[in-house]
Amino acid sequence: MTLITLDPTNPAPGDDAPFTMAARPATLAGQTLGIVANGLGRSELMFDALGEQLTKWDELAGTVKVVKPSVAVPPWPDQWEAITTQATVAVTGFGGCGSCSTRSMRDALDLEAAGIPAVCIVHEALVPAVEALCRLLGADGYPFVVCGYPLNPTGMWDEDEAAALATQVLDGVRQRLTV
Amino acid sequence: MTLTSPEVRSEGWLEAVETYIENGWTDGLPVIPPTPEAVSAMLAAAGVDGTEVLGEIPTRSLTVSAEKVAINSVMAGCLPEYSPVVVAAVRALLQPLANAHSTTATLAGAAHAVVVNGPIRNVIGVECGQACLGPGFRANATIGRAVRLVIRNVFRTVPGVLDRASFSWPLRYSFCFGENEEHSDWTPLHVLEGYEPDDDVVTVMSVMRFLTATEFEPEAEAVLATIADTARLQGLMLDSFVGEARGMMVILGPEHQRRLVDEGWTKESVRESLWERMTRPTVGRHDNEVVLASPDNVLVCCAGGPGLAQSQLIMPHLAAPAHERIVVP
Repeated sequence: MTLITLDPTNPAPGDDAPFTMAARPATLAGQTLGIVANGLGRSELMFDALGEQLTKWDELAGTVKVVKPSVAVPPWPDQWEAITTQATVAVTGFGGCGSCSTRSMRDALDLEAAGIPAVCIVHEALVPAVEALCRLLGADGYPFVVCGYPLNPTGMWDEDEAAALATQVLDGVRQRLTV
Repeated sequence: MTLTSPEVRSEGWLEAVETYIENGWTDGLPVIPPTPEAVSAMLAAAGVDGTEVLGEIPTRSLTVSAEKVAINSVMAGCLPEYSPVVVAAVRALLQPLANAHSTTATLAGAAHAVVVNGPIRNVIGVECGQACLGPGFRANATIGRAVRLVIRNVFRTVPGVLDRASFSWPLRYSFCFGENEEHSDWTPLHVLEGYEPDDDVVTVMSVMRFLTATEFEPEAEAVLATIADTARLQGLMLDSFVGEARGMMVILGPEHQRRLVDEGWTKESVRESLWERMTRPTVGRHDNEVVLASPDNVLVCCAGGPGLAQSQLIMPHLAAPAHERIVVP
């Protein structure tokens, strides 16, 4: 006898909301880099170093950084306003823990929706999570920058490690924020 | 009642159970196949329409409907009369400061405790006494399991995908119990939170760590010192998002409660004393200040059975305790 039961899962919201990326500039020269940091471990050191290197090598006009009130929540409204009114390109992260990686990816997607080219920096251990969030939100294939071991995912780095990571991700960030 | 979820067709009960397991829709254990009739009964018992939205997870752009919660409640093995508790627990979990995205996706594998207060405990049989945190009680087991299945299926928190728990935890199968309000004349948890004694209320706590405080000495002083010292071994995760709403829970066992009652302590004075002890500045390694804004942030709940002189401590993830009234139509 045929038994009829019901599907217990939620439909993916991305099915109804097509995703488009913001238009990229040709270069980072003259752009203002927004940094949406989640405060994971000592990852802020890496973002600071990244901002310094991009300013030096790519002639950024400047940077504006916010550190969110918790690792896996959106920025406060005033932080969001600071980023979206001042930044012309942005980086988010660090995607090194379970919920913060996906929230940082969501920050990047929200920035794209606001017309600001963005890229999320993610540790290789969390790639399945951010890819799943992108699929869920209809942004399958959205590019991000991956870094990996021997650096630990949770951002417990010293200053030298943070600076080295900034150098390691520099090209990837540059490529994903420009045409 | 009109239901909108896609239908699943199986040739009989056993095939349906296997289909749900194969589709990744269970916790690994068999479930009750959610027929439309059973789901409708679950919704009717909670007095909600299937289309009613119980809350959302903004990071995932997900809304949580009463219909999906009812489907998962049937799967968990709930009786319809448990449905109001599950609905309230899910509403609580979706309060902003309960931080559902963070607490369900974390590497730390946080669990969620569902604590029931009010007369409904005795109506539906929520166990509050001997062995109440473990298996053997249908209401406890299935209400807690329903919340977990909602997290998995409706919040889309699948292990290894959005759920990034490094180890996860047996407490994630099910974690529900009630407060033993009848054991003493102490003020029940929900009344201290501003509800009336006859209100039915659920409290949802994220569980980052679950610690046991064992103290056999007969003096209240020793009991309070041991509970505080146990909490201080680990401390709390801090952030400015939860801020002053941060709270931890002491599940006070009856042997400890008896010592305290005998010396004239009340739940209110216990909270004051524990808060003062837990928030003292650290004195070194393995001693952490438990940062809590006030004694009100020390939730004391009396449960468990006689015998071992223990209490249990729920140390939260990055989330505040969330209370929600249970509405029985």
